[in-house]
Amino acid sequence: MAEQAMILLVFLPLLAACLAFVLAGTPARVIAGITMAALPALMLPITVDVIDQGEIAHSLGGHAAPLGIRLVADGSGALMLWLVAIIGSLASLHAWFSFRDQPDAEGTFWPLWLILIAGLNGMFLSCDLFNLYVAMELVTLSAVALVALAGGPVALSAAMRYLLLAMLASLAYLLGVVLIYNATGTMDFRLLAADLEATPEVIISLVLITVGLLLKTAIFPLHVWLPRAHASAPGPVSAVLSALVVKASLFVLYRIWFWSGAELDLAPAEWVLGLAGAGAIIYGSLAALVQSRLKLLVAYSTVAQLGYLMMIFPLASLLAWPAANYQIMAHALAKAALFLAAANILRGQGTDRLQELGGLDRRQPIDLFAFGIAGVSIMGLPPSGGFLAKWMFLETAWAQAAWGWLAVMVIGSLLAAAYIFRALAGMLTSRQTEFQARIRPVHRAMSLSALALALLALASGFASSPILELLGLEPPGLSVDS
Amino acid sequence: MGISLVIDVLLALGLVGLALQVVAGPSLFRSIVLFVVFGLVMALAWARLHAPDLAMAEAAIGAGITGALLLMTYRRLVELNPEKRGETYLGSRWLAAPVGVLTGVLVGLIGWAALQLPPGDTTAGTLARDALDETGVSNPVTGVLLVFRGYDTLLEMGVLLLAFLGARAVASGRAHSPGTSEVSEPALVGALLSLVVPLTILVGIYLLRAGGHAPGGAFQAGAVLAAGGVLLSLTGRLVPTDHTPLVQRLVLVLGLLVFSGMGLFMLFAGSAMLSLPGTWAIYLVETALMISIALPLALLFAQAPGLKGRGH
Repeated sequence: MAEQAMILLVFLPLLAACLAFVLAGTPARVIAGITMAALPALMLPITVDVIDQGEIAHSLGGHAAPLGIRLVADGSGALMLWLVAIIGSLASLHAWFSFRDQPDAEGTFWPLWLILIAGLNGMFLSCDLFNLYVAMELVTLSAVALVALAGGPVALSAAMRYLLLAMLASLAYLLGVVLIYNATGTMDFRLLAADLEATPEVIISLVLITVGLLLKTAIFPLHVWLPRAHASAPGPVSAVLSALVVKASLFVLYRIWFWSGAELDLAPAEWVLGLAGAGAIIYGSLAALVQSRLKLLVAYSTVAQLGYLMMIFPLASLLAWPAANYQIMAHALAKAALFLAAANILRGQGTDRLQELGGLDRRQPIDLFAFGIAGVSIMGLPPSGGFLAKWMFLETAWAQAAWGWLAVMVIGSLLAAAYIFRALAGMLTSRQTEFQARIRPVHRAMSLSALALALLALASGFASSPILELLGLEPPGLSVDS
Repeated sequence: MGISLVIDVLLALGLVGLALQVVAGPSLFRSIVLFVVFGLVMALAWARLHAPDLAMAEAAIGAGITGALLLMTYRRLVELNPEKRGETYLGSRWLAAPVGVLTGVLVGLIGWAALQLPPGDTTAGTLARDALDETGVSNPVTGVLLVFRGYDTLLEMGVLLLAFLGARAVASGRAHSPGTSEVSEPALVGALLSLVVPLTILVGIYLLRAGGHAPGGAFQAGAVLAAGGVLLSLTGRLVPTDHTPLVQRLVLVLGLLVFSGMGLFMLFAGSAMLSLPGTWAIYLVETALMISIALPLALLFAQAPGLKGRGH
């Protein structure tokens, strides 16, 4: 039952994409809606079994690894799959209404969207380095196409830059995988752990894989493609790109680092990764602080918040693992809410220039409210999920007397408060600007999907015990040196 | 030994020389043509390395289809910007030297690391060769692509569909002007087509059938079929449509539907996902894949959402 559900997580959206493409028009929208609503239902039996047994696995074609490919759902994977199901459905609800008035784009949107969801689920389930590459291609190419769907020269050039750098990243990753396969004879990232030794070819391949994945995750200083791409994409697309797509490649990096490389001593490299994360936190926050457009501010905030996820490397310990997973979840929910709210504001006001958003509290109160609530989690104020994640990170740094990392994280939170309050302050001033020509109506459901995500980000601060229970076993690479 | 070493050295030097010409050549058009030549020499290199499947894929897709797409793009660029004809569109060059040095170091490191590697005893590859008997096909490449790692192949079909959808997403809102101008064509074109197009179909089906026991398979066969489509649209026998007709939408997803439909059927019949019930199933899936590979390639080349016969 759970195994079938796990397979359907990939194949249901994939087949739905085919059907949506063939049928087009309103049927496509209905198919996509039903599929996305089915994802949380599919997650239920998987979750029960993962909590019960630790993980569930299925060898595709009946061929066991290393000959065949395994799909594996474990605790951290299940958490990510839940995020895809929840954020995916709420963003789909938004897209249902926001794409309804663009019939041309909508025909292409739903198949691309469903393939993106299938690819994400595929990445979180795959246990095979090459299969991960293929699933990553599905995710990247659909993400690029969805950015381009916004139309206009800005979105197109952002999509092109995204495409070129993502292809470069894929190439680096693939080269690394080829070398690792030659060194070990397997691509199953759990079987790899036994065979990996710190030989030159393994180190070169790990460097290639890591750089490729960091480029895909847009970790500073490899973030250059992210802000424009995420800011110029259509609302629900930005939400899923920032919430899930960049996390997926980071998730693969965690897998390789803490499962495959469990036996290796990676300490010097962990320092480098931590420095990149610190750079991301400081640079991203400062850049967000000086943006004049709301969506760009939110996009730079992603650059900054991704930096926290790199802190697990220098602070590698049993406490850092739930902290990183919590940060992934809290940021995903809050950032999806921020992007949907920003898209609603852009749609309702015809502009997202901070200077022209005065008096928003009277015109779009729900969107403003959603933005504020999600902002609480981004800033890391209690009682939000973002608070819990950052608290666990600070606790880890404190326990290890890692004052430098601790200072960076505290500064990051203060800067986050600064840029969120700066945006809110602009929207709450009474200065009213004349209405723009490009205003389009914002359906109530679009606002409510943003609000629901913001409330979930807040609520994840209360519901820590079931989530930590789901996370279950820590990766082998972290359990040795705690 | 002596002769083959000379051939190998010539191939290697030729590849490097061609690559340099492609990247640093003075004219874009020349670079594209040399890129096609590079693909063909690369195919020879694969053949020398005893990888005939790769050689065919490289020649058909790397040189053929990619070269055709690049040439189409070049024509479009010249149309958009006639006074820049023949000029290199490559941007600033101050990055070229550091990037070149970095790439050289990287290639050197990878080559050196690859030379360090001892040949493995039990790799996934040797396991696949040992388990080939149970698959019903004797070509190990087809065995891996369809049986052992069919899931990868299936997702790759999704990538191909994405390529088409992505091109549509980029082109949406921009009306493509199909070359409606009637050009008088040489008298022999029709005769040549009536000879070549049936041949591409024949070769495609042969490659598909041969894939079971010899180099070949759905990807090469699909590329050859697509070449037939490219010929027909180049000569105006096939013209672009405004929307993708229903039948072509179905054909584009046929491979995905058949492969995953059969996989899900086996799963819910109590077997493993994507396990195939027999050799016939391999050929059925491969046929569907071939068709679903050929159409998007031809459509990408025609820069069109769909194609129809002239005069319809």
